[in-house]
Amino acid sequence: MSEERKKYLKKVKIKQISIFGFQFLLVLLFLGLWEYLVKIGFINAFIYSSPSNIIKTIIELIRKHDFFIHILVTLKEVIIAFILGNILGFTGAIILYEFKYLAKVLDPFLTMLNSLPKIALGPLIIIIFGANIKSVIIMALLINLIVSILTIYNGFLCTPSYYLKLFKTMQANKWQTLFKLVIPSSYQTIIASFKLCIAQTLIGT
Amino acid sequence: MNNLLDISKLTKKYQTKENEIVALDNISFGLKKGEIVSLVGPSGCGKSTILSIIADLDHDYTGTITRKSHLKYAYMLQNDALLPFLTIYENAILGLKIQKTVTKENLAYVDYLFKLYKLDEFKNNYPNSLSGGMKQRVALIRTLALNPDILLLDEPFSALDQQSRLLISDDVYKIAKKEGKTVILVTHNIEEAITFSDRVIILSKRPAKIKKIIEVNFKNQYSIYERRKDANFNYYFDIIWKDLDTNE
Ligand SMILES: Nc1ncnc2c1ncn2[C@@H]1O[C@H](COP(=O)(O)OP(=O)(O)O)[C@@H](O)[C@H]1O
Ligand SMILES: [Mg+2]
Repeated sequence: MSEERKKYLKKVKIKQISIFGFQFLLVLLFLGLWEYLVKIGFINAFIYSSPSNIIKTIIELIRKHDFFIHILVTLKEVIIAFILGNILGFTGAIILYEFKYLAKVLDPFLTMLNSLPKIALGPLIIIIFGANIKSVIIMALLINLIVSILTIYNGFLCTPSYYLKLFKTMQANKWQTLFKLVIPSSYQTIIASFKLCIAQTLIGT
Repeated sequence: MNNLLDISKLTKKYQTKENEIVALDNISFGLKKGEIVSLVGPSGCGKSTILSIIADLDHDYTGTITRKSHLKYAYMLQNDALLPFLTIYENAILGLKIQKTVTKENLAYVDYLFKLYKLDEFKNNYPNSLSGGMKQRVALIRTLALNPDILLLDEPFSALDQQSRLLISDDVYKIAKKEGKTVILVTHNIEEAITFSDRVIILSKRPAKIKKIIEVNFKNQYSIYERRKDANFNYYFDIIWKDLDTNE
């Protein structure tokens, strides 16, 4: 390795570390300010809590052993809702793509469901399914499923027309077109949708 | 029947919500085995439509098409349309995979073409690391790999720079002549039509009607460059130029 290269790599590394350092400082600053404003009574400790309070509560929860159980239960809900949401979302998108007629029929309803403030349905779902893990999962699904379906479906629709034409000229059937072209081309969108799904699921649970 | 393919009184109308578009009007011509024919006409006149009807991708027309049985078609398009997530080798055998004809002979032929076009060492590269000309060569291999009786070339060189355009059209010309492939080339480039083909069919602007069919005869059949230098070249250029609707 040349001297210049070593110098350059060192510079890059220092830059990275300094960025991380500043990020860490910003977080500290934020927490400090928060703590300080609560102390002087500028913001309400009951509503906004305070960093020291949160740490105290966590320590207390850990001491009473049920902190990890709570985390585990929530984690289980998140994972189930996430996996279900993605599988169903993916399947839904494929069904819409293969049955364009159905997609046209469902279009206004999907848009409507999507724009509904789903959190507001929370109480309704708890009334129907009871206050248990089932309704939490259904709640989370409700939030992420429609978004998943629509995001992935729109990704499918973005497959460039010249690829579709190529597949047509090679006499590919519709499953070959789906699995060899449409799905792999939408890889980015599908990953993006998975990420979005995590965020949405966290809100839901 | 002498011809591989006979098209008779082919008429095609596209129906859209807004209106009816007459694309082809009473087109008739035949194609002999091993013949290279160019379709020349202003853009939007209906050239691609003729190809897709011939390849049986569009059944909505009037007129008759008589084919020798079991004709296999393969297309080459303006856009190389190589899938970015497959290596160029995987791209080249995509058609074989789709048509479930991945055989030893076919793969050997693909290997032969990779060597012929000096793409051998790039087999495991992805398309984005290749030049436009190399990519169009991979598209050519993908087309030839299907071992078609009729090659349908829909302006396959028009997105290329002049140099690659000449090189690759010469590649196609040579391999078509060598292996006795029957070819229909769609182009709006007059020089290309003359140097590439045995016959040039001049189409009017939409709806496409056949204006003239010109037999092209050169003493030298060996390459596209040599055909350009032939004394007859300018003669053919003039008659095609006069007949082509140029108000695009
Ligand atoms: N699927 C379609 N629906 C409606 N009109 C079409 C369709 N495909 C092509 N056309 C029209 O038919 C005419 C001929 O098209 P095309 O065969 O692609 O022309 P060319 O290949 O000569 O440029 C054009 O005017 C085009 O707009
Ligand atoms: Mg065209």
